[in-house]
Amino acid sequence: MNIPHDISQYNHHFRDYTELRVQENRVTRISLTNGDVTGNVSSAQSGVSARVFKDGNWGFSSAPEFNDDSVGRVVKSSTENVQFMNLKNTSRCGLILPDTLGEYEMDFATKKPRENQKYWVDFAREVDGYIEKKFPELLSRNIMVAGTDMEKSLSTSDGSKSYSMTPRSFLVVTVAIEKDGNPVNLYEFFGGLGQMEDNLLSPSDFSPKLDDLVSRLKQKADGVFPKAGLQNVIMDADLAGILAHEAIGHTTEADLVLGGSVAGDLMGQEVVSPLITLVDYANTFDDKTCPVPVYVDDEGTPSKDTVIIKDGVLKNFMHNKESAQHFETNPDGNARAYAFSDEPLIRMRNTAFVPGTSSLEDMISSIDDGYYLTKSSNGQADSTSEFMFGIAMGYKIKNGEIGRAIKETTISGIAFDVLKTVDMISEEMSWSAGGMCGKKQWIPVGMGGPAIKCKVNIGGR
Amino acid sequence: MNQSDIARYCIEQLKEAGAYKSQCAVTFSEKKELNVETGEMSLFRTTFDTNVGMSVIVDQKSGSVALNKTDKESINEAVRKVMDMAQSSQPDDANDISPSQPKQSFSKGDEKPDMEKMYLRLDEFMGYVKKTHPTINMEAAIVDFSHSTSVFQNSNGVEFITKEGMYGFSNMFTAKEGKDTSSFNGMGISALNLNTPLIESGSAKRLLRQSTEQVRTKPVSEKFTGEIVVTPDCLGDFIGFITGDISDGKIISKTSIYKEKLNKQITDPRFTLHARPVSDEITDGYFITDDGYVAENNTIIDNGVLKTHLLSLYGANKTGGKRAVNGGGALVVDAGEKPKDEIIRNIKKGILLERFSGGRPSADGEFSGVAKNSYYIENGKIKYPISETMISGNIQEMFSNIGEISSDRIDFGYSIFPWISFKGITVS
Repeated sequence: MNIPHDISQYNHHFRDYTELRVQENRVTRISLTNGDVTGNVSSAQSGVSARVFKDGNWGFSSAPEFNDDSVGRVVKSSTENVQFMNLKNTSRCGLILPDTLGEYEMDFATKKPRENQKYWVDFAREVDGYIEKKFPELLSRNIMVAGTDMEKSLSTSDGSKSYSMTPRSFLVVTVAIEKDGNPVNLYEFFGGLGQMEDNLLSPSDFSPKLDDLVSRLKQKADGVFPKAGLQNVIMDADLAGILAHEAIGHTTEADLVLGGSVAGDLMGQEVVSPLITLVDYANTFDDKTCPVPVYVDDEGTPSKDTVIIKDGVLKNFMHNKESAQHFETNPDGNARAYAFSDEPLIRMRNTAFVPGTSSLEDMISSIDDGYYLTKSSNGQADSTSEFMFGIAMGYKIKNGEIGRAIKETTISGIAFDVLKTVDMISEEMSWSAGGMCGKKQWIPVGMGGPAIKCKVNIGGR
Repeated sequence: MNQSDIARYCIEQLKEAGAYKSQCAVTFSEKKELNVETGEMSLFRTTFDTNVGMSVIVDQKSGSVALNKTDKESINEAVRKVMDMAQSSQPDDANDISPSQPKQSFSKGDEKPDMEKMYLRLDEFMGYVKKTHPTINMEAAIVDFSHSTSVFQNSNGVEFITKEGMYGFSNMFTAKEGKDTSSFNGMGISALNLNTPLIESGSAKRLLRQSTEQVRTKPVSEKFTGEIVVTPDCLGDFIGFITGDISDGKIISKTSIYKEKLNKQITDPRFTLHARPVSDEITDGYFITDDGYVAENNTIIDNGVLKTHLLSLYGANKTGGKRAVNGGGALVVDAGEKPKDEIIRNIKKGILLERFSGGRPSADGEFSGVAKNSYYIENGKIKYPISETMISGNIQEMFSNIGEISSDRIDFGYSIFPWISFKGITVS
């Protein structure tokens, strides 16, 4: 579907506060299992939605067609929905949303000619062929080449207008080996912001990384069980990013604060080590574009960075218009929707700890007995900031040196407490661009940071 | 064009383009959704959508596209795209579509929602929560009604028509007293009607009460190996490892720990697991499989013996195994003999596991994770709600070390599970 860069011509349908959005999400995915093409899929979901606010209540409607008639229908349907709510519930009458005005266009589509499907099937096969030939001892190989384009145009009754084309693309490789009759596997993501033509230049570019992946898999297969209990660890950027997003970030989303999260009572207090500064970046870090850049959010609010924790002190929550009004502050552009048929929710964008001043080498040297945790398999956290991450890859640290790899395990703790134990933060910044966050809707997020040294509980028998 | 005409047009266009094996599903859907956000009912959503899915096999090479448009120009473009995708792929003898079957129509549920009742039930639920559990913060509660009509056709002459209307209810909440906060909690159910108050559905009442008890927690005092009672709300997390491990991906890649275990004992003999997508007891099942067969009920694990892998047509052709008669899900675990309270009374030292925040089990079934919204049990009594407590074990060993299976079960609409106690779990 053609997404116009300006849809304000349809504003004549508006009667009340209205957000109008036209959007298409396009997905391409090619999967190989042991050389066989097991997935060869393309999808495009597009349409128009309107959200209307009146007398404290919201109405929303969406339809797959996009033309003047369908815009009129979704605005009318949204208005009828808000009228239904207003007949039933007048307790919110008088609520006024803050005005915001944003105007921006951004397009991260590749400037190169688009390759066809055969090119990407052959790309995946070449990656697979390299692994098969070089590492015949593997039990299985899974290769996925995938791209997602989110293209949207927004117009609001406040006068905001925006257009964005935000693609992400990846090569994902999972390899497995048999050890003592049981499978052991490890995966790696390559890619991030941009279309496949910009992120996946040549299969041979990945050969050293694939060698490294298989090498780490073999280390893991020969790995030892970590000691359960409270341990000194270094969480590499991959894990620090998840900790920033899952365990702290979610507790500071204003809707979760209103829902009772532990951060609600901590504003202005020193909640973690003074070494910690945590920011939800809107679009740019260190003059470089973040993995999920947002310039104007889906309520039409211009995006700016949200400093959540500054030098250990909780400074800000993340907001949409309604929660900003509730907390008597300004929204920073965190209201985002995944599909055309989704309403904007308070979402993180690119959440990361700010780098410190230590070198990773010095951090490792400072530990006599502990672990260097490099890769997560998944992560969950809740309103108390208690978190759990699966650890897909890690190493023992003994007398300041990296030792043997460890078997898969889990780490857990209360994030605000764990981050009080941070005494070193590395100077390097690394973004993880493959994150998807689930909260009624799934949505792409960026996570990242430096490595952090802290104490955390390691699970296991 | 109506939906059958659209599907027929797609098949014809694909055939003209050279695809002699193809399938197409055309779905029209409408959803009405009432939302409570941070304790207040403030959003009413109506969404309309269309989905056209086409899969083709050309010279044993396959491709699939999906779009949400039904005009001829969009469909013709999708036909060109999927043909290009298939021709770009690699031949695989395992690619196929379902054979000719009699035309059938299926229907379930209402065509239109009872909006007044949706509002009434959600309002009633919120009123109950505010009155009975004033410390509960309802972050989100949603009542929705989805209606869809779907036509599935393939080039072997298969045509299935499905109409379904289903209500859903889900919620997420915490309890808060002063500065003390519980972990978040929540549940979801599916239902054909809203005749039952939402508070009586699934495990809503139990979870709300428990959350109010869980604002102040403590870790278990020592590491021990004991028995955990897994509630119906989190049993699916553990069963999911087994069903995932016997499905296409793991069986084809030969990384399943159950790949050689067909007709062998894999769990305690008292454990029986069914997939019942078309039974009366499962409200939110399904009528046809993604690869174009009429779904049937089956027993996956019968008295501890693995009776089937959950292979699709492709997976069966690829591995030489037998195609499962359904697509999994709609799971039912047979009830045991003792009430759950009696099971808890017989536990010397253990955990009542209400929610599991766990790492994905490793490929060999090892798992560890945090016991959430859970309780410490000692000498048959629930002592206190816990936090910062991990449980660890191995899925294979766990299901071979079942203590008891409860006679009482929870019906979530999409699954029916009992409480099960498992021995030999590490708690730390």
